[in-house]
Amino acid sequence: MNPKRCAACKYLRRRCPKDCIFSPYFPPSDPDKFACIHRIYGAGNVSKMLQQLPVQTRAEAVESLSFEAKCRVEDPVYGCVGIISLLQTQIQKTQTLLARTQAQIAVAQAKHSQTQISEFM
Amino acid sequence: MGGPGSSPCASCKLLRRRCAKDCVFAPYFPPDDPHKFAIVHKVFGASNVSKMLQELPVHQRADAVNSLVFEANARARDPVYGCVGAISFLQNQVSQLQMQLAVAQTEILCIQMQHETTLQSHHQVLELDQDDKALLPHSSNNNINNCNNSYNLGYAMSSGQLMSNFASPSSIMQMQMQDPLKQESLWT
Repeated sequence: MNPKRCAACKYLRRRCPKDCIFSPYFPPSDPDKFACIHRIYGAGNVSKMLQQLPVQTRAEAVESLSFEAKCRVEDPVYGCVGIISLLQTQIQKTQTLLARTQAQIAVAQAKHSQTQISEFM
Repeated sequence: MGGPGSSPCASCKLLRRRCAKDCVFAPYFPPDDPHKFAIVHKVFGASNVSKMLQELPVHQRADAVNSLVFEANARARDPVYGCVGAISFLQNQVSQLQMQLAVAQTEILCIQMQHETTLQSHHQVLELDQDDKALLPHSSNNNINNCNNSYNLGYAMSSGQLMSNFASPSSIMQMQMQDPLKQESLWT
């Protein structure tokens, strides 16, 4: 077997051809990356997805698939949707706090103006 | 939902197979919504979805299916970034809001400090009127103003007194999401 097989072909126990669609993105030094993606999406689906993309976007696609697969392994119920939900909650809380702080500014400014006016009188 | 006499679920319809009574897909992929299973099958594959559902307790499967459908739809809309595009967008929003909040909190601190400075100097003028005016029977307004200035110079209220009234910057850090993956790098 070719010792320079990519991680995908190593995992799938097959020959790694010269034009292997996985090899640019799954180096043999990182076997877990493909294992995780394969567990969630399957090799066939990933291959199809990559084939439908222009070559220059495939690296980014693999990284995002890898991220989502990792999220799904760590949280089998919500996957990365859990992160989206968390971020949306965080946004709401921060917006509320910001609105409150801006209201405090308005009150403090009004108080300060009143103090200045009363000093002149 | 499966079984003889009843309509096969959307999964079994798409997969062209008999819908068993205990079909793992049937409760979550009704026949009136074929697109739901079609998109999940396209991205994840039926056997992977089946395996994932079988590894979950029954009461969590509906949520799992909904999140898989969400991810599959996101991937269909954006084949390069999928859900990660949305995560990146939301993280930017969080950062911007946190910056705005930090600015607002700094502003209110400054206003409060100014206010306290003004009040303090006002009180000190009153004290001067009561205590020192007796020693200066012909004190002019100029002298009082000079005392004003000398009492103002070098005045600083301790930050501890101010900070106790407002949310500390550390509370902003507490609002950072706690997720298993580092925020600064989406790919690690």
